[in-house]
Amino acid sequence: MNMPLKITLLLVLLWLFFVLFILDILIGPVTIPIKDILEIITTGESMNPAWKTIIVGFRLPKAITAVLAGMALSVSGLQMQTIFRNPLAGPYVLGISSGASLGVALVILGFPPLFAQGNINPLSIWVQIMAAWIGAAAVLLLIMAISFRVRDIMTILILGVLFGSATSAIVSILQYFSHQEQLKAFVVWSMGNLGNVTRGQLTVMSFTILAGLIMAVFSGKMLNVMLLGESYAKSMGLNIMLSRIIVFISTSILAGTVTAFCGPIGFIGIAVPHITRILFKSADHRLLIPAVIMTGGILLLLSDILSQLPGGERTLPVNSVTALIGIPVVIWVIFRNQKITSI
Amino acid sequence: MDIHEKIGLELQQVDIGYATGGSMPVTLANQLSLAVRTGEIIGLIGRNGCGKSTLLRTLVRLQSPLKGKILVNGHDISSIPRLEFARAVGFVSTENVNIQHITVTELVSLGRFPYTNWIGSFSADDSAAVSKAIELAGIPHLRKKYLHELSDGERQKTMIARVLAQDTQVVVLDEPTAFLDLPNRYELLRLLNELAHENGKTILYSTHDLNIALDESDKLWLMASGKITEGAPEDLIITKGFHKLFENSDLDFDMDTAGFRLKRKFSEAFTVSGDAGLNIWTSRALERIGMRTVTGDKSRRHVTTGYQKGMPCWSLLMNDKTEEYNSIYDLVSSLKKHKKLT
Repeated sequence: MNMPLKITLLLVLLWLFFVLFILDILIGPVTIPIKDILEIITTGESMNPAWKTIIVGFRLPKAITAVLAGMALSVSGLQMQTIFRNPLAGPYVLGISSGASLGVALVILGFPPLFAQGNINPLSIWVQIMAAWIGAAAVLLLIMAISFRVRDIMTILILGVLFGSATSAIVSILQYFSHQEQLKAFVVWSMGNLGNVTRGQLTVMSFTILAGLIMAVFSGKMLNVMLLGESYAKSMGLNIMLSRIIVFISTSILAGTVTAFCGPIGFIGIAVPHITRILFKSADHRLLIPAVIMTGGILLLLSDILSQLPGGERTLPVNSVTALIGIPVVIWVIFRNQKITSI
Repeated sequence: MDIHEKIGLELQQVDIGYATGGSMPVTLANQLSLAVRTGEIIGLIGRNGCGKSTLLRTLVRLQSPLKGKILVNGHDISSIPRLEFARAVGFVSTENVNIQHITVTELVSLGRFPYTNWIGSFSADDSAAVSKAIELAGIPHLRKKYLHELSDGERQKTMIARVLAQDTQVVVLDEPTAFLDLPNRYELLRLLNELAHENGKTILYSTHDLNIALDESDKLWLMASGKITEGAPEDLIITKGFHKLFENSDLDFDMDTAGFRLKRKFSEAFTVSGDAGLNIWTSRALERIGMRTVTGDKSRRHVTTGYQKGMPCWSLLMNDKTEEYNSIYDLVSSLKKHKKLT
């Protein structure tokens, strides 16, 4: 595929992105005409104050959260697939989201006063996000340490699943010892929810994810030579340690932040990079990173729209929707190359 | 100074090996002092586990020597900055590179890594270097192909084009012929020879393929029991350097054919006479089933070779009986039967 075609495709994705963004805001229990929605978004005013509250207070933050989460998880998945040279790597499958969950569980269930109902102070936001980052980074380091010794892709994946189960077990034990109120807060969080992100949280989320994405864009050239493996990358003058640190920080921030505010959202991180590679037929990260950012935003917007399909007040857990979209992609990847050796 | 008089790569009393957790490092070879002139192609030969890969990895700075100094164009490699080293020494490893959705041109372009800016954007020089590398490796027709569509031979040439795009004076290759069939092996070595002799590159490659190494190297490094013996292939044959290589194995070096053969225990002896051309192959076949042969007059056990009506034929004299055969296979089968009976 030549360059002009790739740029056209990128523009098509951009268009699709905006269409789905508007559609996501359009859909909800209260019907608001699209003209009024556009007016509220562009001018911030509306004849109907209730509509304004619904859009500005609920639907817009939720759509933005979906976009940010989709972008962040997908880029994190792409980085992990390249750095582990493993087509089945991703923040959820490798247990990195679980690590973040454990961090969040420890602070929510361990320091209840900080997260009491209605208590939305900036400190609690930062404590929650830092706990998620540390949890994500800890699992990532552990997986990395093991991947030096065990080269087999499947073994690492199984270990990731085991880490996930182990953290879930620890979280269950924590739940057993906690009060009902905290427990409820935690269970709601763990179902994966794009709509619970507050204004303050959204600001923090936007800035940290932006930082993570910028780091990812800077890592494009490094990720390209990492495709060839460590020996080749080193022999071409790549500073392996520095590159790893950049990718690690970036991916921990991205996956950790999303998990902290939206709960564990699975299979987006693993599926989107594959969908993007097939669309663009490219392995060049300087193209893949922006493309994955677009596709990730699109796919989570789509998941959010699908989760509202039952109509009325009821919505499906977004976690289930992403799993149903992502798992077929994973199965396809497994069947495509029975002998999985490359991305 | 003539370019061929310059030393491209030099080892000064180098010990190689690897560190093990905590205890003493394992030394695979010590006190290596060797030099390669620019524009020379060197074949590194040695048995499995003797430290060939370790030596090559040490030379390209993927691991450190335990002792001693390594010089590239007169500079100690431990003090050359990372990117500068990547512009001086290139490496092709044994690792099987397998990337989906990457074209040959894109893969070769990765070799420009040490020359491009942080985002990896290409200058005219970079594009020219990639085109030249693809030309030199003889794969212009593969430019737009995807890596997974290539045969093993084409893939290896692509990896060589990649290292050529890196535009280094020294090129080190770890078993570049490993997965290739015979014609591809020779083609690859001819390419490496051209690069050394016509483009002035200093090339060091390891191989298990003795015949190719003998034919296509300016010099061989024979690695055995922690030492390296060097010399032109022919020098090493004359000075019996090769005998060292397989000392404790079942192989013998045959000075006449410059190849290795299994040592055999012979149980019986035959005399062979007749057509000289047929005698050679007949002897070979008999030796394979443990029967030593001597060219000479008829004895009690004798094979006569010759042609009848243009077709080769064999007559076997054994136990005072004579039998005729139309192929070596029939002759050998019959002999095997006799052997079993006795």
